[in-house]
Amino acid sequence: MMSPNGKSAAADASASAAMRAKTELARLISYVVFGLGSVYLSVRAGQLPTSRWEPLGAGSFPKLVFAVLAVLCLIAAVRAVVDIRKGGKLDGLGSAFCQWIKVRRVSFAIFGLLVVYLLALPVVGFSLATFVFLMIAQLLIAGISKKTIIQSLIAALIFSVGLNMLFAEVFNVFLPRGVLFAG
Amino acid sequence: MLDAFLAGAHQVFAFDTLIYMLIGSVAGIVAAAIPGFTVTMAIILTLPLTFAMGPLQGVSVMLSVYVGGYTGGLISAALLGIPGTPSSVATTFDAYPMARKGEPGRALSLGIWSSFFGTVISTIVLIVAAPPLALIAVKLGPWEYFALIVFALTIVASLVGNSLLRGLIAGVIGLGLATVGPDPMMGRPRLTFDADMLMAGLPFLVVLIGIFAISQLMGEVEDHGKGKGTDALIPDVIEFKTWAVMREVLMHPVNLVRSSLVGVFIGALPGAGGSIANLLAYDQAKRSSKNPEEFGKGTPDGVIASEAGNSATAGGGLIPMIALGIPGSAVDAILMAALMVHGISVGPRLIMDNADLAYGMFVAMAVASLMMLVVCVLSMRLFLRVTDIPKQFIVPTVMICCVIGAFALNNRVTDLYLLGAIGLVGYGLKSLDYPLAPLVLGVILGPIAETNLRRALMSDGDWTVFFTRPISAVLLAAAVLSVIFSVRSVLKMRKKDRPATDEQDGD
Repeated sequence: MMSPNGKSAAADASASAAMRAKTELARLISYVVFGLGSVYLSVRAGQLPTSRWEPLGAGSFPKLVFAVLAVLCLIAAVRAVVDIRKGGKLDGLGSAFCQWIKVRRVSFAIFGLLVVYLLALPVVGFSLATFVFLMIAQLLIAGISKKTIIQSLIAALIFSVGLNMLFAEVFNVFLPRGVLFAG
Repeated sequence: MLDAFLAGAHQVFAFDTLIYMLIGSVAGIVAAAIPGFTVTMAIILTLPLTFAMGPLQGVSVMLSVYVGGYTGGLISAALLGIPGTPSSVATTFDAYPMARKGEPGRALSLGIWSSFFGTVISTIVLIVAAPPLALIAVKLGPWEYFALIVFALTIVASLVGNSLLRGLIAGVIGLGLATVGPDPMMGRPRLTFDADMLMAGLPFLVVLIGIFAISQLMGEVEDHGKGKGTDALIPDVIEFKTWAVMREVLMHPVNLVRSSLVGVFIGALPGAGGSIANLLAYDQAKRSSKNPEEFGKGTPDGVIASEAGNSATAGGGLIPMIALGIPGSAVDAILMAALMVHGISVGPRLIMDNADLAYGMFVAMAVASLMMLVVCVLSMRLFLRVTDIPKQFIVPTVMICCVIGAFALNNRVTDLYLLGAIGLVGYGLKSLDYPLAPLVLGVILGPIAETNLRRALMSDGDWTVFFTRPISAVLLAAAVLSVIFSVRSVLKMRKKDRPATDEQDGD
């Protein structure tokens, strides 16, 4: 007969094993992606012409590197499959993935904003793009309130216009002025 | 010799030189504290400013930026967990956990004192033992260099993270990324898929910023959903006891001297600089420690080893440059270029023809390390203000600094697109518990490894030479042994865990 404590420990262990199995599954996917990618790149590197002047041409080193990567990924994938089989249940994958995304929603939002910022940078210029990026990113992290809006506005002004001036005047690094504002 | 030494010291101790050096020291610390702004970049930006100065004054200013920069990297490494430069990667292993545990002041003080003592020790070695050390370093052929890089990568892979296999995969991915673009020997484009942005290859600085900084910053806001969004990165009250920490550093003399000597030796090897020295010194400290399990959790030994190791490469790197005219690193190459701009030929005759300049550089190194110490001790509280600033300001602002750092390197907008893509990949790898340090090291060491492998086989097509040359054989054997030891320690840990797992299974 199992005590309540024993039951709880067993449930915890089972949940932990299931979590490990899900993590290993995610890693297995990464091993497969890297493995297939490295096989492709190894083949591509092998197609580069050999050199008349040396035993190793331009393609030999990348071919060797990606072949080693493919072997390492294969070993890692086999180990991951064994671990997943040991870990047992893989149900609830969908909800686990949703939870994973939920925890990282601000991270992905900030990254999305960064991508838009990087694309807008050459068009609207450093100062304006940075001002908008900083305003939105700060409010995204801190939440919207009167206090945070004022704080974000001041910080965005300092670090957009101020940084641009600092780098141009002191370090002679000229940041993109933007197509719209280029004279 | 004494005349030359005094003549050099006289020039360095001129008031205007000291003022310029002070500014250089502050600039180096601030530049390296910004993730993405490497010491190399700070020195490149300083170079045009020194054209109007005399040769020794110019080189002294650049040396103060150099020494300050090696220390500045520890600020973001300790406070943000982002190595400001590749040479402070190992500093994040213990300084960051220490700061997270509520001792950011101690972590910084440890790093600053270790850097100071590391630089002083390396300067002493530079003055006393430059010629014999340089002779050993230049005796290494391409076989030894290739073996050294293999050894460095296996050490890094086994050192960081929770899995040797994922560490090795990350390291080899780094080597693979370094093969994109023109090949280092003939310039033939490889794996570029005719994309303009890949034609010049992946700049390692962009990879460094993307992999470490962007992924780290994205990770910082992960728990926002749980209501911690506006917390300061290190919330506890900061307390550092500068003099007590100095005594603490001096209480670890073996670690300090060993790490500094590792730094000097690695610095003296052309191509191998602070990025390898900090990891090797850390590894040596961990292996000889009575409590290796404490490493990675905020032990002072880890911080001392990494910072003394990377700072000591500054002196070590000058050895082959001054004695033989071979720059030990990119920074030394810029220093050499600065001297050549002034019409001074750098080579074995430098000490004979321009003894005051050579000995003046030794004095400048010592003065620069002292200046760095004074600046850091006096302004440490200012640096620690970073910890009071909430994430809402730090994360987006540091991201902007990363974007500027990536852009300023080549003034290429396409580098920014690479930065975004590499940042996302880095975040994905971090989420899956891949160690990131081996990847970045792979990118930096890849071209050096390839060049030396190809050079070795050009001079002798026989692969067995790698195993018949003694130093190369020893380094390769050490690489294999480091993998075997790591696998053994993993198996031991698994055995320890097994009884508990078996019980659970039994339930």
